[in-house]
Amino acid sequence: MAFEPREPQKELKYQDLRIYSDQELKNYTEEELKNFKIKHKTPMCDELEKGPWPSFVADTKREALHRKKLSGDRLMVNSDVAEDLLGQLERSFKDGETHWKHGGIVGVFGYGGGVIGRYSDSPEEYPSIAHFHTLRVNQPASKFYSSDYLRSICDLWEYRGSGLMNLHGSTGDIIFLGTTTEQLEPIFYELGHVLQQDLGGSGSNLRTPSCCIGRARCEWSCYDTQAMCYELTHYYQDELHRPAFPYKFKFKFDGCPNCCVASIARADMSFIGTWRDNIRIDQDAVKAYVEGDIAPNAGAHAGKDWGKFDIQKEVIDLCPTRCMWMEDGKLMIDDKECTRCMHCINVMPRALRPGADTGVSILFGAKAPILEGAQMSLLTIPFMKVEHPYDNVKAIVDKCWDWWMEEGKNRERLGELIQRYGVPKFLEIMELPPMPQMVREPRSNPYIFWKEEDVPGGFTRSIDDYRKRHKR
Amino acid sequence: MEDIKKAILDFAETSKKTKFYFNDMEKAVKKVMPDIKAREIKKAATALVNEEKLVFFSTGSTTMYGMKGRGQTEDH
Repeated sequence: MAFEPREPQKELKYQDLRIYSDQELKNYTEEELKNFKIKHKTPMCDELEKGPWPSFVADTKREALHRKKLSGDRLMVNSDVAEDLLGQLERSFKDGETHWKHGGIVGVFGYGGGVIGRYSDSPEEYPSIAHFHTLRVNQPASKFYSSDYLRSICDLWEYRGSGLMNLHGSTGDIIFLGTTTEQLEPIFYELGHVLQQDLGGSGSNLRTPSCCIGRARCEWSCYDTQAMCYELTHYYQDELHRPAFPYKFKFKFDGCPNCCVASIARADMSFIGTWRDNIRIDQDAVKAYVEGDIAPNAGAHAGKDWGKFDIQKEVIDLCPTRCMWMEDGKLMIDDKECTRCMHCINVMPRALRPGADTGVSILFGAKAPILEGAQMSLLTIPFMKVEHPYDNVKAIVDKCWDWWMEEGKNRERLGELIQRYGVPKFLEIMELPPMPQMVREPRSNPYIFWKEEDVPGGFTRSIDDYRKRHKR
Repeated sequence: MEDIKKAILDFAETSKKTKFYFNDMEKAVKKVMPDIKAREIKKAATALVNEEKLVFFSTGSTTMYGMKGRGQTEDH
């Protein structure tokens, strides 16, 4: 089905929405920047400008100069906000501790997420960052923007915020860094009513769902990641904006097992595109790769001479389940052994393609904590067809949330709850039978705890009967 | 809905902590109304936020509810 937005979308034109003129946007020279000194001494921050890599310190100084040269009535937040930010950061480096106070009762009306209160604990020294609240802006699916849209939000944030932003936070949102409490509602109004743009999730909410580029540009995408992300974002608006969960919950949508949005590592519920038939093989193209007519890896890694392409060494021997071999000059695959690692398809994209009977695998319980190390998600539903309006997916989501909201402790992620109760309990809740695909290492650990009612005849049996067939 | 709102406000006014998790609010309401569903409690809490009787308190990673005017009342 072709994509249809839920409501008619108007086209945004920067010329109609812009706040600043071209002269105001380009209001300093590189020479001026070289001679510019911010009002605080920041020797340690300055160190971060050295080296070949881009530096947020250099970017912040650019912004500081740009704001200094804009006249005061063209900014709703103090012009030296970027200078105070660097000043406080320098002091934090010196003191070895943060000077931010985190959290509070700030938000926009009716929303419990999207705004994160932040305050300086040294407002006398750094008055322009006394309030420095963060806003999360729900990124468009796959982060597809028009330059009109990007310019418009940049102008809005320059005018009503610090002008500093992250593109993007690790959940995918556009992060607006630093504004005052009184600017929150006007920004929310402008975003919602003029730019048709919602805030993202924060706190004990469904976090902003995020998807890979999907069928928009990628031939491997096994389902329409953008359509599914869009539908579930709209369907679960209440969960996104009004918190009632024990903690955060993330959906991520990957079109294929290459997992470009890392759903397997970071989402409480990961949707990963897969296929249940066979990898499609073009034997002529395999031959062309072997003979060197087509560059492997679609021409990537071409900066160095890696020698002639060796299909045995670079593809067949690297298959994790050893399910590939050459026979009479043809590449053969034992597809039932394939674990969808994608390596062969990545190396020879013109010869190999995912199968044609496609859907998703659904995994639960990943999290990426800083202290305890990553927890990958658990493959729970090996294959499911997904199509608009995704009712089968919504039924699974609701079942899982009901359990987590009932049993989850405060600040306990779904993955931790599954660990606490055990996978068999989770499967019982989800009404799923145990399957080999759920076992982390099925080839070395096929152990399953059976319940008596699952075993024909139960656990009572005659040992004499057994001994008739099996001598001691 | 009005009964749930009342139970929530009773809890919010008397709870030891001025900011509380949804879970704790849910438990308190269920003590008075055992058959009530979490989703109903959430709807009532949202209505109370819209009526400006409850407020959200967010650290960025976790969100709590609080009674407007009780405990931390200013921006910081």
